[in-house]
Amino acid sequence: MKPTLKKLYAWVDERLELQDLIKFMAKKYVPVHSHSIWYYFGGVSLFLFIIQVVTGILLLMYYKGSEELAFESIQFIMSKVAFGWLIRSLHSWTANLFILTTMIHMFSVFFEKAYRKPRELTWLTGMLMLFLLLGFGFTGYLLPWNELAFFATKVGTEITGVVPIVGKPILQFMRGGDDVTGATLSRLFGFHVAVLPGIFTVLLGAHLLFVNRQGMSEPLHYAETPEKERKTMPFFPNFLLRDMLFWLIVLNVLAILAVFFPWELGTKADPFASAPAGIKPEWYFLFMFQTLKYIPAQIGFIDGEVLGVLVFGAAGFLWMMVPFWDRQSSRGERNRFINYIGLFVVMYIILFTIIGWLA
Amino acid sequence: MRKKYFLFGCVAASILFFSVNLVADDQCVSCHTNVVGDKPSELFKHDIHFKKGISCADCHGGNSKMEEMEAAMNPKEGYKGVPKGDAISQSCARCHSDADKMKKYGSTLPTNQWNNLQTSAHGKLSTTGKEHIAQCITCHNAHGIVSVKSPESPVYPLNVVKTCTKCHSSATFMRTYNPSLPIDQGEKYRSSVHGVKNGKGDPKPAVCSSCHGSHDIRTSKDAKSSVYAVNLPGTCSKCHSDAQYMKEYKIPTNQYEKYAKSVHGVALLQKHDVGAPSCNSCHGNHGATPPGVESVSKVCGTCHALNADLFSASPHKKAFDDRKLPECETCHSNHEIVAATDKLIGVTTEAVCSRCHQENQNPKGYAVAKAMRQMVDSLDISGSAAITLVNEAEQKGMEVTDAKFKLRDAKQAHLQMRTMVHAFNEGKFREVVDKGMEATLFAKTEAKDAVDEYYFRRIGLGISTLIMSLLAIVLFVYIRRIEKKQAEER
Repeated sequence: MKPTLKKLYAWVDERLELQDLIKFMAKKYVPVHSHSIWYYFGGVSLFLFIIQVVTGILLLMYYKGSEELAFESIQFIMSKVAFGWLIRSLHSWTANLFILTTMIHMFSVFFEKAYRKPRELTWLTGMLMLFLLLGFGFTGYLLPWNELAFFATKVGTEITGVVPIVGKPILQFMRGGDDVTGATLSRLFGFHVAVLPGIFTVLLGAHLLFVNRQGMSEPLHYAETPEKERKTMPFFPNFLLRDMLFWLIVLNVLAILAVFFPWELGTKADPFASAPAGIKPEWYFLFMFQTLKYIPAQIGFIDGEVLGVLVFGAAGFLWMMVPFWDRQSSRGERNRFINYIGLFVVMYIILFTIIGWLA
Repeated sequence: MRKKYFLFGCVAASILFFSVNLVADDQCVSCHTNVVGDKPSELFKHDIHFKKGISCADCHGGNSKMEEMEAAMNPKEGYKGVPKGDAISQSCARCHSDADKMKKYGSTLPTNQWNNLQTSAHGKLSTTGKEHIAQCITCHNAHGIVSVKSPESPVYPLNVVKTCTKCHSSATFMRTYNPSLPIDQGEKYRSSVHGVKNGKGDPKPAVCSSCHGSHDIRTSKDAKSSVYAVNLPGTCSKCHSDAQYMKEYKIPTNQYEKYAKSVHGVALLQKHDVGAPSCNSCHGNHGATPPGVESVSKVCGTCHALNADLFSASPHKKAFDDRKLPECETCHSNHEIVAATDKLIGVTTEAVCSRCHQENQNPKGYAVAKAMRQMVDSLDISGSAAITLVNEAEQKGMEVTDAKFKLRDAKQAHLQMRTMVHAFNEGKFREVVDKGMEATLFAKTEAKDAVDEYYFRRIGLGISTLIMSLLAIVLFVYIRRIEKKQAEER
């Protein structure tokens, strides 16, 4: 280290006792094994969250959340604000990558059975954050107030409305009335920039705290390896630097996407126009949307769509509760059944997303 | 000569003999003529039906062979008396809608009149709600019916206007059914070229039925009507494109052909734009006459109001009036008006200005026309360049909404310029062109900036990728170094 930097470090260390923190971090070790690659997806998701917060705040400086001005303000950001196009495209692309990396992170945790005791709460907070992320995607999609977003939101909220008993009130609450209007836009904007980030930050804090407290989960086969043969690496600086290397690559990918595939704005929503053909939700909702399309209108005494929504709701709940019913993994025993379920779910999501995309 | 008189005498005697025989056979006619002496029976003797052997009983029922009145007019014999309302037309239709019956009488008349009448404008229910507005006898009379080709027929071309106007010129009657329909058609018709000739005894010019049809008359708003906007040029051309028919009137017969190719004709006949002018828009309908030199601009000006106003205030107005030139028609033609292009302005061979403004004869006008054309070309070139640049920027995925808005302004200025040309004032023309030039310049600047921004983004991405890659390499090397060091320490 150069003398000037050393002096600066010593000055800060004197005041904040950085050395203690470094020692603490250096004591933390990350297991090294054939599946270590999956550890990085948690970190990259965190990095993408930070990008979302920064770009979101920058967009807030120009975005106007009203029916009359939302579209025009995005248009202004894209064409007149210095680097506005970059910020908006980054925000949109990052949102999608964020959900993708979080899903990979979640499935890697699932297949590694990292949710098993004592990490049930870490899994729960992670799952809740994933649901919130989907909420971020849904609420943010309408904000440009363009044609596709308008009708997709209409369809999306209608699906919520089919849930028995609570569906209708939820639909009206989300829309701020019977139909998708400027009131819906204001409402979803509020959720997108205030309610969801608030809850998400609390959950993220808890999630990171749990990870720090408990350390990285070790795979079952790793625990069976003799202690001498177990490899580890210090969290600081090794793992953190590798994490940063991954972040740099992701940032570069994002920049390429933003420049070569700028996020389109489309045409302004016209509530009185007829819905354009082929309205589809964002890719992360596509497998559910496509499934609902295949379900017959009536199954026995129950409405097909209602049944579909209830089944997805129940499946999501069971998935979230996996640490509590997969006792075998918690006892440190192998549970192939969980792997089969996970494999089925992954295949199902991929297949129905592709079908939905091509439809 | 004697032989001719003899033959004529024989024919007359035969007709008289058969007529007397018919009267003698038909007890209704015999009694009503000889004993009652009423008008219907008198008229019926001249009726075409009577001549074909059709008796009173065929319409009124009863037995025409019986001599006793009570027996002949006995309801048991089918006697109906005087038919009322739709029963009248139904009586006629019994034969006139039956092709076999009509064939027996040697008729070649169509047999769909009653069907057509029912679906026509006259087939609507009358104010009583019990019958159609018009019955067969409304136009053809009841007892003295003669062939439509006979000059005595109320529907013969020389009489048909009088027949139609019996109702259509009656404000009291027409108010009952269609208060908004004018009642001056007959009056207008008499002032038209068609009406004047008709009034002089020429049966060939158009009468009401020539355009509106006879039994199947529909309102002009009905798409099936022969006078519906889209069908009207075809209706007029039935006569006006028939060279043989129009021969004696010595007027051209290619108007329809020209009109169909014109901007108006294409709009109406191909695009079915019913707002586009048809024959009657310029010539009038019931009062159809060719517009005179004086009134051409007024006729065109009903739609092209701004152009007409500008022309009227222009120096060309007096010049055209002095030379007795029709205003619009001189440059734009009449029936074959093609879409005006910028090429009409200027001094080239395609331009209309140069027809009068020769360089050696009228240098001032020539210079103005030349200058105006240069301005038009400048705006066109600038506009095309702006469109190309905006398209390029758009294809590159750049946001160019403002530039596109300005392109609309430029297009608007181009349209205004086309109107302003009718003022034939270089200064005013330049003002409009300058507005367009300003808009195209803005669009070009915006689009160029967008294209530059596109390349800036790519260069920026290249530089940032390079920096990030370098950073990644440095980080990777650093990680390897510290891990190597850690391994050595262990």
